[in-house]
Amino acid sequence: MKRLVAFSLAGVLLGGLFLGAAIPAPAQEGRGKSIFEDKCALCHGRDGKGNGPAAAALSPSPTDFTNPGFWQGNVNQKITDTIENGHGPMPAFDLSPGQIRAVIDYMSHTFK
Amino acid sequence: MSRAILRNLVLTLGIAGLCLLSFSSAVQAVPSFARQTGMECYTCHTVWPELTPFGRQFKMTGYVMSKSDKLYQFPPPLSALFQGSFTHTGRPQPPGAAPFNSSANDNVNLPQEVSVYYAGKIFYKLGAFMQFTYDGVSNAFLVDHTDIRFANTAKLAGKPLIYGISFNNAPTVQDVWNSTPAWGFPFASSSVALTPTAATVIDGTLDQQVGGLGFYGYWNNLLYGEVNFYRTAAKGYPQFLSGGTHVTTVVSGVAPYWRVFLQHQWGKHSLMVGHYGLVANIFPQGQARGPSDRFTDLAFDAQYQYISKKHRFSLATTWIHEIQNWSASFALGNTANSFNFLNTYRVNLNYSYRSPYGTFGGNVAYFNTFGSRDALLYAADQLDGSRTGRPNSDGVILQGLYVPPKWEQAKIVVQYTIYNNFNGAGANYDGSGRSAWANNTLYILAWLMF
Repeated sequence: MKRLVAFSLAGVLLGGLFLGAAIPAPAQEGRGKSIFEDKCALCHGRDGKGNGPAAAALSPSPTDFTNPGFWQGNVNQKITDTIENGHGPMPAFDLSPGQIRAVIDYMSHTFK
Repeated sequence: MSRAILRNLVLTLGIAGLCLLSFSSAVQAVPSFARQTGMECYTCHTVWPELTPFGRQFKMTGYVMSKSDKLYQFPPPLSALFQGSFTHTGRPQPPGAAPFNSSANDNVNLPQEVSVYYAGKIFYKLGAFMQFTYDGVSNAFLVDHTDIRFANTAKLAGKPLIYGISFNNAPTVQDVWNSTPAWGFPFASSSVALTPTAATVIDGTLDQQVGGLGFYGYWNNLLYGEVNFYRTAAKGYPQFLSGGTHVTTVVSGVAPYWRVFLQHQWGKHSLMVGHYGLVANIFPQGQARGPSDRFTDLAFDAQYQYISKKHRFSLATTWIHEIQNWSASFALGNTANSFNFLNTYRVNLNYSYRSPYGTFGGNVAYFNTFGSRDALLYAADQLDGSRTGRPNSDGVILQGLYVPPKWEQAKIVVQYTIYNNFNGAGANYDGSGRSAWANNTLYILAWLMF
């Protein structure tokens, strides 16, 4: 009986862990939105269309995240690489892995 | 090293350390450009003041990029600078000879400089970089580097075009590269150590002596062109651009300046090759009317950058060739020749590494100024004269730097300048027994931005 209870508890705990990892918490997306609006919107725009206040001067133009073509392939890796290393006139940003995940979560739930 | 030198060194480093400790946790007070854009310092700078591609875009578009939609910036984009330094030269200067009543050697300048900036958006597409400085060495207040811009964007042949107007008080202060004089390495240096006498007109001679209105265009992140027209700040509307500075180099009429460059970015790399120039008619020293001398400066420059998350490397170089027509000064007996040439060549390598413990970096630079022999123009005189009548000076600058983590507005610099030749010779260059190595300079700087 004790063994049954122990395994059941373990199962509930493990299931809760996986469940928590699979579904982004509202706080995670809010954090991602805050970072996006602070660091990314200047060029990519708050609506993600690549039309931020600084966009007109940039060549090539900032990416339009609402374009379905952007979301093809390994997007998470692509976004992570670009944030960490920059791309063309876009600078690199010093974001932690957790912050990058939050930004990706926000972008995929808002612009995709 | 003597006890006195060691004491002064410890004093300077201690004060710098206290400043770093007291501000190490401060995140509210950031320079105004960073506040305006919401970006960190390293976004626009490799190690400030050197610009990244994004920083060049920010400057090119008139300092108005902002995370806010408002037409104006509120609070106003104000920043401040504090510099404290220590200078030691190979040999002391003779008693009473050091500038501004400084000590013969081992000078602690606290402050060396304090500045207040209005730097950012003024209104709509009008922005500015305006620096107002208290010089702690000369005990003077002055209007320092100033660049007021209005910029706009358009399309040309389907590609983006940035175009604008710049009103500024120093040729090349408006430039976005770190290969031209105003923003070139070493960025900061001692105010009390002796430096070579000869310099081309475009290489800082006209700073805060003129005011200029210019027009520029930058197409497709590729091709840049600019013309600027400078007039003396001794009279007329440019006077406020030289506030606090005695205008001793008086330009006659208009001095045109021009600038072109090509640049290309690929991945983490960028490369620029360019040309800039200036023609200035300048009255002989002490004169403000009548015949003038003419200086034609033709310069070429290039800059390469590699910028990754941790590693930042740049190579910048410039060569300035000046044709000097001394017809007015020659007639007054001030020069031995009616025509001279003067050349300046500089190259510097910069590297920095960003770690969790801060940014560590270093610079190696070579400089060489050489030109025509003129025994009257470069006369023998104790300390700053030339025994040989030549302007030739060359040497190397070695520099280490540190920017602490979490507070990238602070920087510690240790710089050592080694002269091979100084004012025309290595040994007994001034005719009074002083040699070039006597002016070798150890310079330690604590540089804080608020």
